[in-house]
Amino acid sequence: MRFLRRFVWVTIGVLMLTGLSAVSIASSHKLVLTGSSTIAPLAVELGRRFESLHPGMRVDVQTGGSARGINDTRKGIADIGMVSRAMKADEQDLQAVTIALDGIGIIVHASNPVAALTRQQIADIFTGKITNWHEVGGKDARITVVNKAEGRSTLELFLAYFQLKNSEIRPHIVIGDNQQGIKTVSGNPHAIGYVSIGAAEYDAQRGVPLKLLPLDSVAASVVNLRNGDYPLSRPLNLVTRMTPTALAKRFIDFARSEQAYDLVEMQYFIPVSVD
Amino acid sequence: MANKQIVDTGKPNHLLRDRAIQLLIYLVVLCVSGIFLWILLDLIRGGSALLSWDFLISMPRDTGRAGGIGSILVSTLLVLSIALLVALPIGWATAVLLAEFIPAMSSFGSWVRYSLQVLAGVPSIVFGLFGYAFFSIYLGMGFSILSGGLTLACMLLPILVSTAEAGLRAVPESYRLSAAALGMSRAATLFHVLLPVAVPAWAAGLLLGIGRAAAETAALMFTSGYVDRMPESLLDSGRVLALHIFDLSMNVPGGDAPAHASALVLILLLLMINLVAMHLTHLWQRRKLNTE
Repeated sequence: MRFLRRFVWVTIGVLMLTGLSAVSIASSHKLVLTGSSTIAPLAVELGRRFESLHPGMRVDVQTGGSARGINDTRKGIADIGMVSRAMKADEQDLQAVTIALDGIGIIVHASNPVAALTRQQIADIFTGKITNWHEVGGKDARITVVNKAEGRSTLELFLAYFQLKNSEIRPHIVIGDNQQGIKTVSGNPHAIGYVSIGAAEYDAQRGVPLKLLPLDSVAASVVNLRNGDYPLSRPLNLVTRMTPTALAKRFIDFARSEQAYDLVEMQYFIPVSVD
Repeated sequence: MANKQIVDTGKPNHLLRDRAIQLLIYLVVLCVSGIFLWILLDLIRGGSALLSWDFLISMPRDTGRAGGIGSILVSTLLVLSIALLVALPIGWATAVLLAEFIPAMSSFGSWVRYSLQVLAGVPSIVFGLFGYAFFSIYLGMGFSILSGGLTLACMLLPILVSTAEAGLRAVPESYRLSAAALGMSRAATLFHVLLPVAVPAWAAGLLLGIGRAAAETAALMFTSGYVDRMPESLLDSGRVLALHIFDLSMNVPGGDAPAHASALVLILLLLMINLVAMHLTHLWQRRKLNTE
C-alpha cells in the first residue's frame, strides 16, 4: 500500500504543478494568430521577420482552418484570425484586412490532351453529367472528380463561382489541403481537381505531371492573377475584433507593407498594393 | 521415413496441404515486412540526401523548406516526456489496482475497464478538441507544450492500463500464493515477485504508447500547436515532428524532401527508443531475478 500511496502523491504533485504554471500566461508582448492552414506558413514567415524587426516581440501562429480563426478571434483566444476567403454577412463584427491574393485553378494530369473546358463543361463534370473525357474532346476514359472537403474556403469559392451546391457535386475523391490535391491529380491521368494556382504553378515548373486549364479563356497563371484578369481568386485576410490591440495593428500594417512582399511571393501568393 | 509413410498410406494431400499453408504463412509474413521495407526505402530515397547532423540541430527556415528540425525535435521530446511523466504513474497504478487490489469481477473494476475501452476507441481528433477546450482554454494553459503533453497523456492511458493489467494477470496465481505463504506484504510481492515477471509486457505497452504518442498529429494541432521556434518554457507552443511532416507534405509547395527527411528521423528516433527500452527492460529483469 505504501507504494500505491507514493504514486498518489506523485500524481497530486504533477497536477498541482500544472495548476500553478497555468497562472502565469498572458503577456503583452505576445501575438497569437490562429486560422487558415493556407495562410499559416506565410504567417510564420511574417512573424519571424516581425520578431527580428521588433526584438522582444513574439508571434505565435496556430492552424485549424478559417472557421477556427473567426471563432478564436471572437472569443479573444487569438489576437488575429487568418481567414482565406471573403468575409461573410454574419461576420461583420470583425475587422478584416486583406494581405494577399490567391487564385484557384482547375488542374488535370499533364498527359491529358484536353486543352480547355468551358464553364458549363466544368460544372457538368463536377455534377456528374459528363463522366467520360471523350465527351469533352479527350481520350476514352472515365473522369475522376476530385473535390475539396466541407468547410474549406477553396470549396466555397469554387461553388460560388460555378453556382453549384456541394450536394450536387459527385466527387470520387474528397481532399483537404492544396498539396494533397496536387498529389492526387498528378498521380491519376484521368483526374480533375482545383487547387491554389501558385502552388500548382510551382509544382508544374518543377516537373510534376500537372496542367492548369484556362478559365473563361484566361490562362491560370500568377501573372494574370496579379493584373486582375483571372476571374477566380480569393483574398487572404487577417481579421481582428473591431478595436485591434496596438500590437496586432502593427503586425497587420507590417504584413501589408513592402517589407513583406518577398515573403508573400515566396509562398506563391500575390501581394496587395497598399492604397 | 515417417513422412514417407504418411504419404504412402492413402492420404497424399496432407503433406501438400501442409506445405501450401506453410508457404502461405511465409508469404504473408513477407508481405508484412515488405510493407515496412517499402516505406523505409521510399523515405530513404526521398530524404536521405537532406539528412545530416546539421539538419538535426538547425532551426527550420522558409516554412521548413530550408534549415533543419532542431526546435521541432526538442518540442517533440518535451511533449513526449510530459505525456509519459503524467500517464505512466496514473496508468500503471490503475493497472495494479485493477489486477491486484480489487476482485476481477467487481463492479467498480469492470466500470473502470469499460470506460478505458471507450477511451481507447475515441478518435484522436476528439482528444485534441477536448485538450483544446479543457487544458488550453478552461485551465488557461494556452497553446503550449504542457497542454499538448497532458492531452497525449489522456490518450495513452487506455494502452498503458490494458497492457500492464494483462501483464500482471499473466503471472501464475501460485507466485502470489507462495509469496503470501512466506509472509510477504502485497507491496513487496508486487515489487519483488510480480513486476520482474510482468515487466516485458509493461515495456511492450510503454513502447506502443510512445509510438502512438510520437505519431500523433490531430490531437496536437489544437493543443501544443504550430509554432516552430525553439521552446523556452513548457508554456510555449511547440510544433511536434508528426505535425511538421503533415504540414510540409500537405501545405507547403516544395516541402516533400524535408518531409521525407523528417519522417526518416521520426522512424529512426522510434527505433532508437525501442532498442534502448528493450535493453533496459532486459537488464532490470536480469538484476531483479538474479539477486533476489
